[in-house]
Amino acid sequence: MYVVEVVITNKRIARDPEGETIYKDLISKHGYDKVRGVISGKYLEIMVDSESPDDALNYVRDLCRKLRLYNPSVHDVRVRLNAQGCSD
Amino acid sequence: MPKVAVIKFPGTNADLDVVWVLRNVSGLEARSIWYADFNVKGWDAVVIPGGFSYGDWLRAGAIAARSDVISELIKALDNGTPILGICNGFQILTEAGLLPGALLPNESCRFICRWVKVVFTNPRGPWLKLASDGLIVDMPIAHGEGRYYVESTSYQEKISKLPTIKYYGYNPNGSLYDIAGIGSEDGLVVGLMPHPERASEPELTPRKLSCGGRVIWLSIAKSLKEGW
Amino acid sequence: MTLSSDELSEIRSILGREPTDAELLMFEAQWSEHCSYKSSRHYLKLLPSEGVDVLIGPGRDAAAVRVFRDFAVVLKIESHNHPSAVDPYNGASTGVGGVVRDILTLGAKPIALLDLLFFGNPRDKHANWLIKGVVRGISDYGNRIGVPVVSGMVWFDESYNKYPLVNVACIGIVEISKIINGVPEDGDYIVIIGNTTGRDGILGSSFASKPLDLQEDSSYLPAIQVGNPLIEKLIIDFLVEAAELRILKHVKDLGGGGLATAIAELTSNYGLGAYILLERLHTREPDLRPEEMLVSESQERMLLVVSREDFRKVEELLSKYNLQYSVAGYLDRSGLIKVYYNGKLVACIPADKLARPQVRFRSVEIPEHYIKLHNNDNLVLPEVKNLNEVMLKLLSSPNIASKEWIYSQYDYEVGVRTVVKPGFGDAAVLRLIDVDGRVGIAVKGDGNPRYVFLNPFRGAANAVAECYRNLISVGSKPIAIVDELNAGNPEKPTHYWYFTEMVKGISWCASELKLPVVGGKVSFYNEDLSRGVMVKPVATIVGVGVIDDIAKSLTFELKREGNYVLVVGTTYPELGGSEYLHSCLGLELGEVPLPRPSTEVFNGEYISKLVELGYVEAVHDIDIGGLAVAIAEMCITGMNGARLDLRRLPSRGCSRVEELLFSETQARYLVEVKRDVVDSVLELATHYGVDVGILGEVGGDSLVLTWGNSKIINVSLDELREAYMNSLESLMSW
Repeated sequence: MYVVEVVITNKRIARDPEGETIYKDLISKHGYDKVRGVISGKYLEIMVDSESPDDALNYVRDLCRKLRLYNPSVHDVRVRLNAQGCSD
Repeated sequence: MPKVAVIKFPGTNADLDVVWVLRNVSGLEARSIWYADFNVKGWDAVVIPGGFSYGDWLRAGAIAARSDVISELIKALDNGTPILGICNGFQILTEAGLLPGALLPNESCRFICRWVKVVFTNPRGPWLKLASDGLIVDMPIAHGEGRYYVESTSYQEKISKLPTIKYYGYNPNGSLYDIAGIGSEDGLVVGLMPHPERASEPELTPRKLSCGGRVIWLSIAKSLKEGW
Repeated sequence: MTLSSDELSEIRSILGREPTDAELLMFEAQWSEHCSYKSSRHYLKLLPSEGVDVLIGPGRDAAAVRVFRDFAVVLKIESHNHPSAVDPYNGASTGVGGVVRDILTLGAKPIALLDLLFFGNPRDKHANWLIKGVVRGISDYGNRIGVPVVSGMVWFDESYNKYPLVNVACIGIVEISKIINGVPEDGDYIVIIGNTTGRDGILGSSFASKPLDLQEDSSYLPAIQVGNPLIEKLIIDFLVEAAELRILKHVKDLGGGGLATAIAELTSNYGLGAYILLERLHTREPDLRPEEMLVSESQERMLLVVSREDFRKVEELLSKYNLQYSVAGYLDRSGLIKVYYNGKLVACIPADKLARPQVRFRSVEIPEHYIKLHNNDNLVLPEVKNLNEVMLKLLSSPNIASKEWIYSQYDYEVGVRTVVKPGFGDAAVLRLIDVDGRVGIAVKGDGNPRYVFLNPFRGAANAVAECYRNLISVGSKPIAIVDELNAGNPEKPTHYWYFTEMVKGISWCASELKLPVVGGKVSFYNEDLSRGVMVKPVATIVGVGVIDDIAKSLTFELKREGNYVLVVGTTYPELGGSEYLHSCLGLELGEVPLPRPSTEVFNGEYISKLVELGYVEAVHDIDIGGLAVAIAEMCITGMNGARLDLRRLPSRGCSRVEELLFSETQARYLVEVKRDVVDSVLELATHYGVDVGILGEVGGDSLVLTWGNSKIINVSLDELREAYMNSLESLMSW
């Protein structure tokens, strides 16, 4: 079984008010000036039975698109394997 | 005349509602105070009202709980000044560690606005002076992150003896132990998710329900004038 | 590029040369249909907008109407149809943001929102996704800014499956002496406040001014706008305080067309010019080009006109709320908009020529299907076997069923003003604690796309009448309305025809009811290109009424066993376009019920008198679903049964029981009357020249409708409630 991570963030061209607020009103405000920016997003871990890692990734990519887990007009999505989360 | 401060963070939206009720139902002096200007000196009680401080970004109340207001509130508590947190105020108090537990997203994953019944258990302290143990009243809720959570060992040991306000008959958000609100041991600090300021006047209360918030506003008025 | 070659030539002759890139974008934004109203302006002049209490009518970003002593109500309606089709969550939430900012331009405090939503079939996957996104978007944004969504309407129709209509209205309150109404002058500063300007939303209004091709995903990337309700809330707090302090001369929202439109409208309305230094604008990306800055539609930005003397105080207040701002330029007397970027002149346009493109006269043609739909005099309705089943089917049809699934996601209590809450009244009632604890206003929004599709003149007129009745039902006196006209492609004569007919219908009915149309908007290009069809056009009407004493306002729940149920108004056989025909027989045709404005006035005044005298305990207007649905709704919300005899129903020309039960004849109400005053109530009816009939009594735990002694409908309260309350929730979780 594979664990596939799905990270959904707003496209660069769209705003990210959550990220902007966390950066401005929390992190910067309390003096952490080495931080340059924050992007917020939604994180999902999807456990998939699959023959191979590539199959697992494609399977999840497909369901993300078809089920509108993210809105392609507004969101970017990153689908990747969780390195630790694999088991037989 | 006792004075109550109602703290307003960026995104707080119920401060004037609370001021209205403190003036017209409690008969006290009250003012909305911008968070950056808040100083505990001169105030006889403090309310942190509802809303979406800092947009509820990251987690509801998480950013406000890291502000300087909290150290002022701790001073207030040391002075024996009563503090009430309503909805977002309750979230801020738990995030700041001034009340136990945490408020998580509702079980239904949706924002819910409706009237519910609540019951007071072990009422103590200035905010609940006029509430009797077992008193059942109506109040409206309006929140997306109201599911109360606390570790069960911690509950058994301490929390079951604290003053609490529990959902009665219907738990709208999956709160553990049906907790809608909770207070410190002496009841000096109380936080609750339902909005008592919206349930204090008959004009706003649905026909067959009770003005469940009145008991809190009348309690604080009496407590500030006579002690508790 | 939505500018036609004619328009391009016109631009060349205005400037006397080729336009620069920046100028071209400015014209494209401002001359888009969405911003310029070039296809509709001349028609909109038909709408009656004057009244003795109208302080500010069409022309500003919002309208103001006097309500009590020294206070005015400010109202605005907006649509966000195109963006919601692509990104329902952000499209709907930014729609809320925009309409609230319009209210703020007069210095009013926003106190209520209304949403008028038109969706497809909830069982269609795509439509279901759109519904959830739109409702969530309105919920998340409205709740965060602390403005309660107190009222609204939702309509479901297959034509909206891929393309919803999202209309949002906002109501504000302001002391008349504090309305921001100064005259901008030469030397005043132009200050942009709020969110940074970014690449989001560039040319959004141009995007909304052409057909939406949903297959082409990427072309609307730039138009997507994401709202930041936290900044919006800070802007609300800032502006309300600034209005109190009277430190602002004039305020405009940066909405459709961004900075370009705001400057164009501001300068041309006051015969001024502007001198803009774009590099001063606070931006999100460091490499924005000047033309992008001019037409970006980044949200939560406003334009303030501030006098030199007051600038310091404005700065202090902005700092208190931690709002970013930039002094983008100055007003002057030149009549020209001169835009500089780092010393280089990038645009120089005469203000009045930019603001007002030539009117586009479009042709009109009656669509073929319209003619066909009306040739059904021979239509024979099948015999109905089981009216109980029909009753339950109607109550569970999405257009009638309880909308609690939706409104429980909106915080409708914030502000401690909401006296009559969603689900309990024909309109929302708000007490104006800003004035005193006694007075109040009622607000409601209405629109019926089926009526409009079948007969746009009547459909739009009936929407005005329905809004009027709803305001009367809760005990208010209607004083003003705003309208949103949602239509198809104005370049297609058969679509444009709907628009012209709707305007005529509203003008006529509003005049007859003496209801000024103090503002409004038009949304064109609402088409579902995937199927090559126009979505059903609709006129939405949002109205406000005043209440002298909120203790006298009424909900429609049946209150007390033993009270009488009275009908006001005559019933005619008008099943055309009815919910009954559609839900139960699958038909959408027939003659739309006749608008009856003079009867509306008599019946309305009669009801108002009954309310004033305290003779009635509940009032419900009769609309879709007819009398049967109206009484069922009163029973369900009050958890009180009723027994009515249809033989007592004043009617004319009805030959079938379905006509009595489900006809959607206008100007009718159901009223719950106290037993001891029924004689006075009947006497008063004669005095007002109104048709009434005592139908029966409140009591029992079923709804029983009889003809004499034989029971026609007999359904228990529990069954009625089950059908009505749970239907939408189960449809949505399909």
